[in-house]
Amino acid sequence: MLLQTLITGLSIGGIYALMAVGYSLVFSVLNFSNFAHGAVIMLGAYIGLGVVRFLAPALLPAVAIAMIGAGVLAVLNERLAYSLLRRRKAPSLYLMISAMGCAVLLENLVYATIGSRFYAYPEFFATSVVTLAGSTVSLLDLFAFIFSIGAIGGLHLFLTRTKTGIAIRAGVADMTMCSLMGVNLDRLIAVVFFLAGAFAGVAGIFLGIKYLVYPTMGWITNKAYIAAVIGGLGSLPGALIGGLILGIVETLVSTYISSVYRDLFSFGLLIALLLYLPNGLLGRETGEKV
Amino acid sequence: MRKFAVILACAVLCLFVGTALAEEVVKIGHTVSLTGGASMWGQSEKRALEMLIEKLNAEGGVLGKKIVLVSYDNRNDAVEAVNVARRLVEDGVVAVIGPAQSGNAIASAPILEKAQVPMVVTTATNPYVTLDKKTEKIRPFAFRPCFIDPFQGTVAARFAFRDLKAKTASILYDVGSDYGQWLAKYFEEAFVKEGGQVVAKEAFRTDELDYRAQLGKMKELNPDVIFIPTSQKEAAMAAKQARDLGIKAVLLGTDNWGSPDLIELGGSAIDGGFFVNLTDLADPDIQDFVAEYRQKFGEDPVLPNPVMAQDALLLIVDSIKRANSFEGPKVAEAMANTVGLKVTSGTLTIDPTTHDPLDKPAVIQKVDVTNNAFPFHMKFYPQDVK
Repeated sequence: MLLQTLITGLSIGGIYALMAVGYSLVFSVLNFSNFAHGAVIMLGAYIGLGVVRFLAPALLPAVAIAMIGAGVLAVLNERLAYSLLRRRKAPSLYLMISAMGCAVLLENLVYATIGSRFYAYPEFFATSVVTLAGSTVSLLDLFAFIFSIGAIGGLHLFLTRTKTGIAIRAGVADMTMCSLMGVNLDRLIAVVFFLAGAFAGVAGIFLGIKYLVYPTMGWITNKAYIAAVIGGLGSLPGALIGGLILGIVETLVSTYISSVYRDLFSFGLLIALLLYLPNGLLGRETGEKV
Repeated sequence: MRKFAVILACAVLCLFVGTALAEEVVKIGHTVSLTGGASMWGQSEKRALEMLIEKLNAEGGVLGKKIVLVSYDNRNDAVEAVNVARRLVEDGVVAVIGPAQSGNAIASAPILEKAQVPMVVTTATNPYVTLDKKTEKIRPFAFRPCFIDPFQGTVAARFAFRDLKAKTASILYDVGSDYGQWLAKYFEEAFVKEGGQVVAKEAFRTDELDYRAQLGKMKELNPDVIFIPTSQKEAAMAAKQARDLGIKAVLLGTDNWGSPDLIELGGSAIDGGFFVNLTDLADPDIQDFVAEYRQKFGEDPVLPNPVMAQDALLLIVDSIKRANSFEGPKVAEAMANTVGLKVTSGTLTIDPTTHDPLDKPAVIQKVDVTNNAFPFHMKFYPQDVK
């Protein structure tokens, strides 16, 4: 029973981590919580669904197109809603409020155009399960988990080994200095949003396959946001660890105490952590950054 | 000054025309979820009512007046349902059809009761829709044409124990829904009474998506059936997650499963499940209705709401005729004494002591994914489970 609980916790945590990465990426550069991320995840799920229904009924093309589509949407979102605020040097609180507005706007846009009904992805892995010492894990969860870890690892390599990645990290350290050194800030930020959006696209597809596709599905990212805060907003390894910890804690509480108390523990953990480790487990000091 | 006189004259004229028009029509209120998770049923319900009203008006309406349907969207939300009830009272409706969900119906009942407007819910099956929980007295203005949850829970338990030969059961329910919470209780009581054992009763909170922690616990206990009194969305997700965990138990549901998209959402995981419903497409009594609906809208009605809404409307119209009045208290009194009224789903007899129907059967439908259908499995009458 414990092994099964841990496996379930890890697979839930893997999806939290995938979503938390998007929050952390944007936060690390622009220092605000992009609450529109959940809406981009939802749009990613709809894009993937569209591909599967009308173009090719296979998983990989859906993932690829959803990543690109959601990435482009995230960049557009930044251009239309945040860039002007950013240029005016508005406080990050305003950016956050704008992001919340975007989330509600995008959600209602989907309500108005596609409608409120639920959709499901076709069964890519049927219900095939892998048995491990008496515990079962579905092939999809295994795939999603490996894919999440792989994608986060790839992102880490991109940020540490490529020129653009180094520019992003320089921007994280000091944006003004970075732009004085001749880095095109608008391009840099577009790359960051594209990456965050691409992760949203993958997360959207996995959420859609695991659960269902509907306009308010993005709100599950509240949990991913908590995961990002637990791990330390702005830190990629932190997002991964935060996601996995949250997934395991939630599953343990649901199994051994009661699922009704689950959120009591998740949010309690968040408050306790903020009291004792305000920057999260792996977060850096953000006090001086404006 | 002349301008003012013209405006005044216009206003007076409008007033006369307005009253003249008002006298020719009778408004029947309709509180329904036209958006949100329950909109599929809501939209179909509204169409079925409009279809029937067209026919009734062609036959002369009721007491010489044309019927006008005033539909407002309650978004399947209790607060919004209260607002809609208030608005309908302000609009001066003679009776209200809906809401379809127990929680919304329970929230709306006191407002309509105070305004003395009879309310006929469509598919709200919780006992406390027609019964005041505080005083344990019947709500004088609340009625329903559908069966109630103690009956539904009993039917599910009896079917599980006697027909599926299940000895052990577990329950997965939404702790935030009146519907799920009470059905879980009624099923448990009836299943234990039959001689079975409920090995696990696990709750989740409304809008939660992942039930694997709860299901993982059930897997250890290996129940023969899992009773899931939720709507099709939660049932589909629970089914997928249960199969992912390798659970082989038969899944058993309630009338909220009965949505055409259950199979699309649940896929092969939901195959072979059973659920209790108010009526089904193959029910011989409703074939005329189904044919008419198909012809008019080019698709199948989303059952059971359209049928129940038509039953509600027919009950209202018949009661107005028998009361020979549009006054709420008189109509409600006539409603309470309805015997053998011919309605869309068959006949309707209201129990004057409970305001629930005496003769509404429950059907068991099977989930057949291969043929994308819910074939009729068996039927239970109230006297069967006494």
